[in-house]
Amino acid sequence: MSKTILFVDDSESIREIVQFTLENEGYNVLLGSSGVDAMKYLNGATVDLIITDLHMPELNGIDLIKEIRKIKHYQRTPILFLTTESQAAKKMEAKNAGATGWIIKPFVPAKLIAAINKVIR
Amino acid sequence: MDKLTAKFIEEATEHIQSIEQNMLLLENDPENPSYIEIIFRAMHTLKGAGSMFGFENISELTHDLENIYDTIRSGKRKITRDIFDITLQSIDHIKAQLQYRNEIPEENHHSQLILQQKIREIQDQPSGEASGPLSSAAPRTRQEVSKDASTYYISFKPHINIFDNGTNPLYLVDELAGLGQSLVIPYLQQVPDLSSLDPYACYAYWEIFLATETDISTIHDVFLFVEDRCALEIHKISDSNLLNEKRFIRRIEKQGRDDHDIGINEAIIIADEFRDPVSTKVKKAMVDAAAFGSKDYSISSIRVSSDKLDQLMNLVSELVTTQARLSLYAQNDGSNELNTITETTQKLSRQLRDLTFEIALVPIDTLVTRFHRLVRDLSRELGKHVIFETMGTETELDKTIIENLTDPLMHIIRNCLDHGIESTETRLALGKPEYGKILMNAYHSSTNVHIEIIDDGAGLNLEKIRSKAIRQGMITGETVLSEKQIQELIFRPGFSTAEIVTDVSGRGVGMDVVKQKITGIRGEIAVDSEKNKGTKITLIIPLTLSIIDGLLVQVEDIRYVIPLSAIKKIYAIQHKQLGKSFNNQIMLDGNLIPYFSLRQEFECSDIDDQAIEQIILIEYENQKVGLVVDSVIGEYQAVLKPIGKHYKSQEIISAATILGDGTVSLVIDTSRIIAHFNSKFETSEVKI
Repeated sequence: MSKTILFVDDSESIREIVQFTLENEGYNVLLGSSGVDAMKYLNGATVDLIITDLHMPELNGIDLIKEIRKIKHYQRTPILFLTTESQAAKKMEAKNAGATGWIIKPFVPAKLIAAINKVIR
Repeated sequence: MDKLTAKFIEEATEHIQSIEQNMLLLENDPENPSYIEIIFRAMHTLKGAGSMFGFENISELTHDLENIYDTIRSGKRKITRDIFDITLQSIDHIKAQLQYRNEIPEENHHSQLILQQKIREIQDQPSGEASGPLSSAAPRTRQEVSKDASTYYISFKPHINIFDNGTNPLYLVDELAGLGQSLVIPYLQQVPDLSSLDPYACYAYWEIFLATETDISTIHDVFLFVEDRCALEIHKISDSNLLNEKRFIRRIEKQGRDDHDIGINEAIIIADEFRDPVSTKVKKAMVDAAAFGSKDYSISSIRVSSDKLDQLMNLVSELVTTQARLSLYAQNDGSNELNTITETTQKLSRQLRDLTFEIALVPIDTLVTRFHRLVRDLSRELGKHVIFETMGTETELDKTIIENLTDPLMHIIRNCLDHGIESTETRLALGKPEYGKILMNAYHSSTNVHIEIIDDGAGLNLEKIRSKAIRQGMITGETVLSEKQIQELIFRPGFSTAEIVTDVSGRGVGMDVVKQKITGIRGEIAVDSEKNKGTKITLIIPLTLSIIDGLLVQVEDIRYVIPLSAIKKIYAIQHKQLGKSFNNQIMLDGNLIPYFSLRQEFECSDIDDQAIEQIILIEYENQKVGLVVDSVIGEYQAVLKPIGKHYKSQEIISAATILGDGTVSLVIDTSRIIAHFNSKFETSEVKI
């Protein structure tokens, strides 16, 4: 059965490229435009991996990660976040919040897939 | 998205046009490399951009084509009619794909498969000109690891809570295995009984032997997300693919079956057993031969006994000496023709000399195995956890020097283990990693080779060294010494700090013997230590022993050679100025420099006050001394000859050399002179 990935980012164009890439790889893709928007999927649908940007209106990425980890069902679900090379402090913050790993922006599809393969198969 | 795709299609169309254009040009001028280069680059861009925008078909097709053009570009394949046709067909196919965007009709899929099949066929064909190496362009599966892969040892011990952030360590082991050929040993003995098992805890750990062509950073990247949630060790244990050796795999499996893991040191030792320096050298030579495109592998390296090498070396030294004589004769007396011939033979003998020295060079690598063994055995004996690492072991040194280095290096490493690296408890209490580390790093620097032994242990205990030196009467309680000077006390004769004489380093020899040996091969030794951070011992070793560049100087009517490497500057000075100076010290460039008059030392008669003398400023281990001589003649390449045991006890001369006119000239031992001078200087100072 194909795995389901929830991708959260406030930029519509990035959401579309990522959706396209992931669906091409055979994943089910759910899209969230903000942290609040993403939370709606987590009551009900089974998500195997969550990928989130850190800078978003409403609920930002780090708070989203913390919220997800509070849900019993998602305590050990892999979470990747998008970050840039320069944000070492943010990276630590996100890791401490419970993230599994990260993807450096800007990324090419191959890199995205490589990072995903590190946490789900 | 649509805008981006449109942009891509626009770009891709441009590239396709450029490929078509250049294909046609190429048809008329098939040898022209610039067309091929343009086609190759266009394919490459299409491939990359294609996959980025979801045109996987284009990407796949161009990938295979790109491979073909890459081999053409590098001259391994000639362009043929078949390649021409298939390229044009592929171009048409790609054009169609771009038109359909993502709604590709079924028959198009079919034609893609046919095209790819054809391209593969061409790829697999041996191309007329070169055979053999070319076939490497054919696609390779991941399991097929080429012969120049290296073998890595990886120990991956996840923290017990690694599952907590959603990590599955198995995926990482799997990813690692995907990098090449691998041997994975899981250790499950820590998994408790079912009753006390926490399903969210990770009890397992792994040791992995991986043969791969990728570099160590790629392997590190596998563990990128979990670096802070596991104990990880990655080491290269061999430059060849050990997993092709059935015996190696059996050894590892047998070791790993015991309850405890193999460990890095044991892994290195096992790997070393499978290393055969000669065979790797031959293999390398064969690869080189293959790169030249020769079809048959001729024998390109042979073993020669070291005695013969020594003989060759001697003969070459004699030749260099005779050459100097010939040059002198030709200069003074020769006809033009004789001069021309002399110049030519001079050039030839210089080349012959350089080549001969190169032949006698041996990589430091040959020493390393025995150090690994030493570290492993000693660390067990002392109950310490130590990793021994090496860098730059391909650095080459004269084989006699290597022989002379073994004992000093052994001693230094032993010291690191015994005094440097702390016990595990101490290390943990200090917040250091459990495993101590000793690194041997070798590299070239001008005409010297530097060898550093670095440990991350306790560092030198300055207090202890100081009080010891006072007890030994080397310094008095009042002597003010810098940290550096205190550290250097360990090289003084008779100095040994081991509180308890252990079996390990208390063998009656201390660092002074090490220093003596290093000085014996005209090397230098320095120590740099920081408390609780570790100690670095640096050896600076000359590349070769038997020929040096020297400065020919004259005292009375006798000529001497001073090694050029030690000379910093030359000053002219009137003799009477020296007479006025106090305590054999003189101001040079604003610094007070002690000097040493060779005229006085050799008990020659005093010269006229007006006479101009030369002070040659020599430096050794940051200490400067001036040598006063009558005059400087010029540079001279000296072939060193030992001076025999009758002269062993003197401190000024290290060797002799024969000058062009046949007279013998003595070579001044600059390091000993400085040492000699310093001891004289210090004792007089203490008296005051």
